[in-house]
Amino acid sequence: MEYYFGILQNIGFHTLLGLSAYLLLLTGQLSMAQVGFFAIGAYASGILTVIYGINIFLALGVGAIIASFFAFLVGFPALRIKGLMLVIATIAFSEIVRLYFFNLRWLVEKDGVEVGPDGAQGFREIRYFAANGWEPSHIVSFIWIVVILVLFALWWLDRVKAGSVLRAVGEDELAAQSSGINLTVVKVSAMTGGGFIAGIAGGLYAHSTTYVDHNSFTILLATFAVAYPILGGLKNVFGTLFAVIFIQGILIEGLRFLGDYRNLLFGLLIILVMNFYPKGLINIPIFNWSKLFKRRDL
Amino acid sequence: MSFGLIDILQSLIDGILFGSIYALIGLGFTLIFGAMEKLNMAYAASSIGGAYVGLGLATLFSLPLFLVFLIGPIAAGLISILVYLVSFRLIPSTNHLGSLMASIGALFFIDEVIIHETQGSPLTFPELGIFAEAYFMLGDLGFRGDLIFIMIFGLISMGVIIYLLYYTRLGLATRAVSQQNVAARLCGIPIHTINISTFVLAGILGGFAGCMAAASVGVISPLLTIPITIKGLIAAVIGGLGSIRGAIIAGLMIGGVENFFLLVRGVNERDIYVFLLLFVFLVLRPNGLFGNEINRD
Repeated sequence: MEYYFGILQNIGFHTLLGLSAYLLLLTGQLSMAQVGFFAIGAYASGILTVIYGINIFLALGVGAIIASFFAFLVGFPALRIKGLMLVIATIAFSEIVRLYFFNLRWLVEKDGVEVGPDGAQGFREIRYFAANGWEPSHIVSFIWIVVILVLFALWWLDRVKAGSVLRAVGEDELAAQSSGINLTVVKVSAMTGGGFIAGIAGGLYAHSTTYVDHNSFTILLATFAVAYPILGGLKNVFGTLFAVIFIQGILIEGLRFLGDYRNLLFGLLIILVMNFYPKGLINIPIFNWSKLFKRRDL
Repeated sequence: MSFGLIDILQSLIDGILFGSIYALIGLGFTLIFGAMEKLNMAYAASSIGGAYVGLGLATLFSLPLFLVFLIGPIAAGLISILVYLVSFRLIPSTNHLGSLMASIGALFFIDEVIIHETQGSPLTFPELGIFAEAYFMLGDLGFRGDLIFIMIFGLISMGVIIYLLYYTRLGLATRAVSQQNVAARLCGIPIHTINISTFVLAGILGGFAGCMAAASVGVISPLLTIPITIKGLIAAVIGGLGSIRGAIIAGLMIGGVENFFLLVRGVNERDIYVFLLLFVFLVLRPNGLFGNEINRD
């Protein structure tokens, strides 16, 4: 049972990361910075609960706000550059954040034990859940409540005007601008929102694994984060969810018997999907029930 | 920590010389970007892959070790063709995200194949023969022979590429394809052949850079791929994407900055300053040192 809880938790974090990249992709920005915000959220909320002994809900919220503040800061220079340059700039941002935490030592003595981030040794003993008697099932439910809330919020976003504004910017910036959309506001708010979601995900990740270090926040994870919405497709939020379940659940957990050949599959899968379903897996006919069962026009 | 002027100068010289590897990789990125306006993220991976193939074949058939530096670039050129076929050939040219993602997929695929074949452990790489032992002194400053060789090679290849691009029919066709894709096709230029030849040229350069990087460090490991990819991209961006001399100058500059901060701030922090340098350029001069004033997407 613990094993399945582990998989469910993992799918939860990756869904949140994927959704934070999804929000940015709607505006046409491919950002590899999500893993940087994820790391900021993880360390910030970890430090708040471990060193300052703050309640988890408050710590998650504050961690997410700090992450979104950094996203806001990244959003402004990102306005001047777009497309491929943005990819490179955000890769650099994520690496700066990773190296900052690699060098961060902030040890505090608590009950005779030194706790806090310890440079390359990582940040150990983020034990809020265990210390407050949370069962694994509680943790999984908590993570999935957050995931479902975020999924619902982004699904709802597509039903209101804000969603159309985001997509308009993503489709054609010039046309959007000439119909009176303020590009700065839209892009920076998408970045901030994405940072907020990634920050929450980071906080949840740090507390449920109880240990984070700089190796948890590599470019590989950033690639995963943008790969989910792109592989799943930007038609709706469920594409991202499907891609996460497909990759984390089936490809990585389900095919364990393949050993390290599984690692080859991730790269191969991206290549295949991009060649054959450039608009994402959500467009595979099996997902279009209505189209599949429609009467053929003879 | 105390160090004098000589230490600083020496570390700058070492860094600038080592920067020629970043310059060569950046040159490859910029070359492909110039031809197709796309980034081939798998480029450094195919370079390292080529070096691995060279080393593997040389060990397998017990060939003389200098052949590694011949087989490596050729293999990297062939891997580049494969990358072109799977990540660029079938994906429509308007879909920038698609080929970017597909080439990132190729990057991880090549990396994982290497890890799978070598069980993830680094291999020793042959040194550059007589160049490795050569060490020149100029007053109190020393110059590593193998790195000087790489730098001279980089400058020569820059010259060759500029010659190819601006003084041959192939170069004319490449520039035509990059400026007006459709018009070039209407004039009867085989755009895929042209693109493949750009990829092969860049691949051979990259394979050479990969071999050189491995030879100057003494080991080859799949862990080299991501740092070289990132530094090469930064060199290409700071130099101005599409600018050949820019990539070379920026690569050397990054090497210098990196080694200077290695001396001043230590190994854990040096990369932070390289990335900050990139941000400074992106904010103040988004088109890079020699980039065109075109708003590229």
